[in-house]
Amino acid sequence: MSDTETKGGCPVVHIDYRQNRTAHETYANLNEVREMAPILWNETEPTAYWMVTRYDEVREALQRPDVFTNDVVSALGDPDSHIRLLPQNLNPPEHVWYRHVVNPWFSPGSLSRIEGYARQRCIELIEELRPRGGVDLTVEFALQFPTEVFLHLLGLPPSDGYKLLPAVEGVFRGFFGGPPEEMARDVATIKDYFAAVVDDRLVNPGDVKTDFVSYLLQSTVNGEPLPPEDVLVLCLTILLAGMDTTRSATGYIFEHLARNPEHRQMLIDSPDKIPAAVEEFVRLYSLVYQDGRYVAEDVEFHGCPMRKGDIVWLGLAQANRDPRKFDRPDEFVIDRESNKHLGFAAGAHRCLGAHLARMELVMVLEEWLARIPSFTLATDEPLTERGGQLMLHSVPLAWEV
Amino acid sequence: MKIRVDENLCQGHGRCYSLAPELLSSDDEGFVTLKGSSMDVPAGMESAARQACNACPEDAITLED
Repeated sequence: MSDTETKGGCPVVHIDYRQNRTAHETYANLNEVREMAPILWNETEPTAYWMVTRYDEVREALQRPDVFTNDVVSALGDPDSHIRLLPQNLNPPEHVWYRHVVNPWFSPGSLSRIEGYARQRCIELIEELRPRGGVDLTVEFALQFPTEVFLHLLGLPPSDGYKLLPAVEGVFRGFFGGPPEEMARDVATIKDYFAAVVDDRLVNPGDVKTDFVSYLLQSTVNGEPLPPEDVLVLCLTILLAGMDTTRSATGYIFEHLARNPEHRQMLIDSPDKIPAAVEEFVRLYSLVYQDGRYVAEDVEFHGCPMRKGDIVWLGLAQANRDPRKFDRPDEFVIDRESNKHLGFAAGAHRCLGAHLARMELVMVLEEWLARIPSFTLATDEPLTERGGQLMLHSVPLAWEV
Repeated sequence: MKIRVDENLCQGHGRCYSLAPELLSSDDEGFVTLKGSSMDVPAGMESAARQACNACPEDAITLED
């Protein structure tokens, strides 16, 4: 990379973010790039894009959907092969109509309905693990628990997770540069699953308070019923969002706690601090480290000449570790006076599942630390993380029984 | 002290009512019920109001003395 290479006055880099890395190497790189400049041009494959790296500019762009639209939602991967996602790929006003339909299902009030089930399963799963003295978190508990809770929330059999997970993982590989034919096949698997549910609920409507597909089939958008294809795409989108992120967050949180016994002890001594800890973990270990946008009209954005059709990376993880916004940005700090992190993004597309994610992560910490208060990483080998959307591939923990 | 929530900026993150449940409540969609409006902060709840204000990622909450 040349110090003098620029585009529109912004430095040019050549970084492929789809590659897997050693654990935490991504954050180190993201920090470095942020400190180079507030806006850069990443000349990379398969598509080049602007990188907006600092908190104020990232948030501003998220709050300007007229200019930075959701026709593209990821700066990584080929924009032509992106699958349609709902309501993610929509812009106002359609986007607002769709969010009105799905928001109630994922509101704190709605989630209180499933809190009892979730806690019961959480405790059961942890109690099953306890006598074993060890687990690879990412491939077991961190995968099982969010999957079961999520499917239960939708009114679907939790055991269906095992059918859907390989397809979900396949779609994520596809998002970040995997073979498009395989991704298309995995998308079809998920859509076929929901198509069967839709076909059933059309003949046997379920309770609209507990059966998500039935609820969608009875909802309207701008006065019109949702087209069945939209019901499928909504379910696909929400499934993809729900099954990967919470799993990944759990991995990073436990890896952190395994390496930082003093933080663990603090949460054991003061469980009332767990909600604040979860917010801090979401800030520090942002998994969706970039949100993509499409430039809908030529705009000079903080001195940078962006053209209609350009793709933009909004650096959520970079914003979350921006020293201009957060004191001690790379440290876990439990008592921040202000933690306005963008781990769930901002603007109208802010994460629909944020309340669910928080509920699950708080619950996991409460129930795990009460039963397995002390644990270590069971390997000296460096851990690795997935490119594109962060996940630690393996988090092997060990504890005394 | 008055607390105000901007109608257009509020996106339902829920940080405000989670941190200050004695002051703020949420609606069916998860938005704070104060969205698009303002109210006097009851005596003794100024700290809760400040916490709510400091937590909003959209900067949708303002306090006026």
